[in-house]
Amino acid sequence: MQERVRIGADVGGTFTDLVLARPDGRLFVAKVTTTPDDPGRGITAGLSALLAEAGVDPASVAEIVHGTTVASNTILQKTGARTGLLTTRGFRDVLEIGRIRTPVMFDLSWRKPEPLVPRRWRLEVPERIAADGSVVTPLDEAAVRAAARFFCREGVEAVAICFIHAYANPTHERRAAALLREEAPELLVTASCEVLPEIGEYERTSTAAVNAYVLPAMRGYLSRLTDRLAGIGLRAPIRVMASNAGLIGLASARERPVFAVGSGPAGGVAGAAELCRTIGVEDLVAFDMGGTTAKASVIERGMPALVSEYEFRDGISSPSRFIKGAGYMLKVPAVDIAEVGSGGGSIARVDSGGLLLVGPESAGGDPGPACYGRGTVEPTLTDANMVLGHLNPRALAGGTLPVDPDLARRAVARLASRLGLSLEATAFGIRRLANASMARAIRAVTVERGKDPRDLALLAFGGGGPLHAVDVARLLGIRRVLVPPAAGVFSAVGMLAAEAAHEAVEPILSPLEAAGPLIAAARRRLEQVGRAALAEEGFEGRAVELRFTAELRYLGQSATLAVPIGDGSWDLAALRCAFDRAYRATFGYAIEEDVVELVNLRLSAIGRGTGRLTFAQLRLDPRALAGERGERAVLFDPESGFVPTRILPRAAILDGPVAGPAILESYDTTIVLPPGSVACAAPGGCVAIETEHGRD
Amino acid sequence: MTDASAHDPVTFAVVKNALDAIVDEVAYTVVRTARSEIVKDVMDYSAAICDAEGEMVAQAKTIAQHLGAIPEAMAAVKARFSGRLEPGDAVIMNDPYSGGMHLPDVFMFYPIFVEGELLAWSVVICHHTDMGGRVPGSNAADSTEIWQEGLRLPPVRLYRAGVMGETLEALIGLNVRVPDRVLGDLRAQYAACRVGEEQIRALAGRYGVGGLRGLFAELLDYAERMTRAEIRSWPRGTFRFTDRIDGDGFDEAPVPLSVAITVREDGSLLVDWTGSAPQVKGAINSTLSFTKSNSYLSVRCALRGDIPNNAGVFRCIEVRAPAGSVLNPLPPAPVAARALTGYRVVDTMFGALAQIVPDVIPAAGEGGNTVVCLGGRRPDGRPFIMVDMISGCWGGRPDRDGIEAVTNPSQNLSNTPVEVLERQHPVRVEEYALVPDSGGAGRFRGGLGLARSYRLLADEAILQVRADRVRFPPWGLAGGLPGAPSANWLDGVPVPGKITTILRRGQLVRHHQAGGGGHGDPLERDPEAVARDVWNGKVSAEAARRLYGVIVDPLSAALDVEATLRERRARKGEPA
Repeated sequence: MQERVRIGADVGGTFTDLVLARPDGRLFVAKVTTTPDDPGRGITAGLSALLAEAGVDPASVAEIVHGTTVASNTILQKTGARTGLLTTRGFRDVLEIGRIRTPVMFDLSWRKPEPLVPRRWRLEVPERIAADGSVVTPLDEAAVRAAARFFCREGVEAVAICFIHAYANPTHERRAAALLREEAPELLVTASCEVLPEIGEYERTSTAAVNAYVLPAMRGYLSRLTDRLAGIGLRAPIRVMASNAGLIGLASARERPVFAVGSGPAGGVAGAAELCRTIGVEDLVAFDMGGTTAKASVIERGMPALVSEYEFRDGISSPSRFIKGAGYMLKVPAVDIAEVGSGGGSIARVDSGGLLLVGPESAGGDPGPACYGRGTVEPTLTDANMVLGHLNPRALAGGTLPVDPDLARRAVARLASRLGLSLEATAFGIRRLANASMARAIRAVTVERGKDPRDLALLAFGGGGPLHAVDVARLLGIRRVLVPPAAGVFSAVGMLAAEAAHEAVEPILSPLEAAGPLIAAARRRLEQVGRAALAEEGFEGRAVELRFTAELRYLGQSATLAVPIGDGSWDLAALRCAFDRAYRATFGYAIEEDVVELVNLRLSAIGRGTGRLTFAQLRLDPRALAGERGERAVLFDPESGFVPTRILPRAAILDGPVAGPAILESYDTTIVLPPGSVACAAPGGCVAIETEHGRD
Repeated sequence: MTDASAHDPVTFAVVKNALDAIVDEVAYTVVRTARSEIVKDVMDYSAAICDAEGEMVAQAKTIAQHLGAIPEAMAAVKARFSGRLEPGDAVIMNDPYSGGMHLPDVFMFYPIFVEGELLAWSVVICHHTDMGGRVPGSNAADSTEIWQEGLRLPPVRLYRAGVMGETLEALIGLNVRVPDRVLGDLRAQYAACRVGEEQIRALAGRYGVGGLRGLFAELLDYAERMTRAEIRSWPRGTFRFTDRIDGDGFDEAPVPLSVAITVREDGSLLVDWTGSAPQVKGAINSTLSFTKSNSYLSVRCALRGDIPNNAGVFRCIEVRAPAGSVLNPLPPAPVAARALTGYRVVDTMFGALAQIVPDVIPAAGEGGNTVVCLGGRRPDGRPFIMVDMISGCWGGRPDRDGIEAVTNPSQNLSNTPVEVLERQHPVRVEEYALVPDSGGAGRFRGGLGLARSYRLLADEAILQVRADRVRFPPWGLAGGLPGAPSANWLDGVPVPGKITTILRRGQLVRHHQAGGGGHGDPLERDPEAVARDVWNGKVSAEAARRLYGVIVDPLSAALDVEATLRERRARKGEPA
């Protein structure tokens, strides 16, 4: 492999974004329509064209990095496997009981999420392990075999196993898994101890159940993808974007898809963090708007805000550390992200009460918005933007996707007559509603965390991000918007900046002072697991970095504080001091004489690829900056009506600042500059926009 | 620094949400630093930010029941310490007759000074594992006067300029059974209060002390305005309801609670408890502050608007309870198990509110969590106290089924993971599950109750269970049937709802929480929904036929549409 070409492929609900990076920093991009029945079809078709255009031989591709929404869509649309659960006798309902709390208070209409495994398919078997790991009741093997037969009769496809105290002694779970596989080889089995074996039966059960639920869909998808890519000569290793903005290998994604439930949006976050470090901006809001949803997350001091567990849910999903009960608990590390159902394909309609609604239903990429002319008759946000003149009326995606503005007008007009409004007022209403909904996602990760968005810059990407960014920023009082290079395919670009990361955990649950031998053994096992996982993906020797973390607490507490173990600080006394110090810094006091308990030893095994993308070396394919010059009438606010607006290629920014009203078009996105805003070129290939130029 | 205009809507929204985020951060700090399961796992604690006058401007998503009690407690603190507190000080109190609720609930008040001025208070209330007294957990239902219930603390200064006072530390440490946990949790309360201080200071830095003061006032007025506007849309009149507690543990006589809610022209409510039982011998008496608290939060549940959760809502609700009644007892009446009465206050309020806003209020839920306490010594001689709480379910709602396995709406409790419980106490939990057929039948079914059992692994321990709804199960609405009553068993033998006894090694205590009441006529329930319940083992095929007139195969759970039609016609007396 003399040429280490790397490919990023990000499949969104509407578009599939593809990026090809040559080792000299040259970047080639393509945006193709997502093929939801089998997203691999769109990827392969797009890549064939991209390889040809870049003049790259498929055999010289070193790696394909992939972000996928297959797992998350499977949960959202409830299309996962018919999933069974095997539990300790007496604990059939742990998954449904959950943690009892409600995410809202005083709301008697609240709905508790339906468990992913219905009660009928949750079976108990006699077995019991005590808290110290000793066996109280041996595993009833006949009961496990009988359960396997019941699952088969009922047409169950995947089974999760979670036994009480399995984190302390996994032998019963392992044995039960083996028995199920033996009795019913067609069942896909996930044992909780094989995911992240931590104390807490509900969280462990839920994580294992989610894994089982998405396993067949993810596995089938990845197999088909591998075959399709091989079909066009692409046999390079595939890495999957994980929820924590790190990369995992194909084998890992096939076995433990629960780590990739948040795969879709993570690429953009990895890219935003890398860009932050490159251009020296400390904190920003990453705002990613695609065809189906918009997402917001915060980058602080160049690092994505992460959580160690989160709830996957519909609607505004802002993983809070404190408010639980609204979704499906996943005890895996993830980026702290909020998502709303507003994207270019979001369908606008009128509800029974006469209220205009936009989304969350989306026309997706196929059939797509009405203006695509593929049969959609309901108006989408994209159609509204076309009516208002914000989008090019001839073709999108750099001229490769022809559109018909009359179809957009007709679709919006139909809605307008039902509302009794003018065409323009209806289109503007659709746009305004979508903007408000996206502002809510940003509020969820800023204002609702007590962080004033006015102190942050907004990094706008995704196909629709720059189209709405200034309006959304103005709603929140944000004064500075940044549009990164290749904004429309930025998630795919960002993936190429991510590192391979494998997470592993060993429960210790011992007073720190007595934990020496346990630590040594756990450390050996973790190191072995971490190195093996990375070696399988081609990372060895100096490419491997092992980041250990000790999770400590005062004996009797529940929550832990993570203390990173730097090189050589395995000394217990030093660890103890580091904990007291961190505890004092966090909570304002420390109790030096109290016993400290080591709960978990955790490993992030990082694999550093040699070809990782940095923005300093980035060179865009000239086509990505090109676009037409001209003028068209655009409506920015109903009072002023349509105003003549300059249309410029994105590259025009290199010649000097551009004041709104203006629109910058490029292959992958459209940057809208309403009156009062001014854009200029910024480091790292960014466009910087002052949203309220000249105002105090 | 700028003093933001109080009329800038963006600033108003940012500060409102920032306060919500700050108070949740305060609450989160408690969870992260506390030492006892009842706080760190069950989450029986609460947090609030009050303005300088002590009016609550933000509350965490924690135990709602605690927070309406703040005004009385704050008044006692101000009466004793007004003008004498310094930065870093913290006052604690637990005395029910000085504005508190029951002895285990220790309030901590922490004044927040900015630029030398008192700007706000952090308030954190934790249920402590033990406060001394005659029974481990200080929560016994069978005490007869407050003196038996443990250490009473009037408002006293626990921290002075950031340092815990050694006199009080020693006194508390000596009077409670598990000093490590109690002192550890007090430290957690203090750490949490300081998080509130830090963040309020940062907020003041951004918006100015004067600006923040104005915004606090505006937030309270805003909540009051919204509450009044909504209440004005309710039908005028007086609406009455009576519910009952099984008994006080000494006497078989039921303890009735009666309410009359009057909707007034000005958008306020009068909540009058005249006619409720006189104070009782057992410890289920509810102090007036606690009665008010539960009355407020019940009204809050009936409001649909997106109203900030602050003291502005309280201003619209006037609560009266006769002195010497079970809802406003005179000292030295015992109050330790008053939570139960609080739940019944909520049920009674809901019964009356269901007549005012029938499309909002559900049938009765489980009627409050059951408390199970086990106290004794481990094999190595160290003492242990387990305080566990079993939550329940909601009743059927006007438009959908009740929720099962959920906190009472008056709280926001969690549960202790079995794996955590067993690591900390010599017990083994043998069951934690839904109880089939326990949900009240109705067009919208009540939630199923929960079962939980404990086997003792130490030589002996004092067991104390406080359960209710054994004799008066959760009521249904609009033709819905009541839920199944709650029940206790000791080694399989039925025992009363409220018990205090000695448990020996290997003995098993088992509790069934009550099921929620049903809403609407069971014969109107969608047969597919009944079949689904049978398929899931939540309703038996036998009960499906008997209660719902729905014929379902017990094994395959297949619905027999024809037979169901016939059965239902016959039940309604219609021709086949």
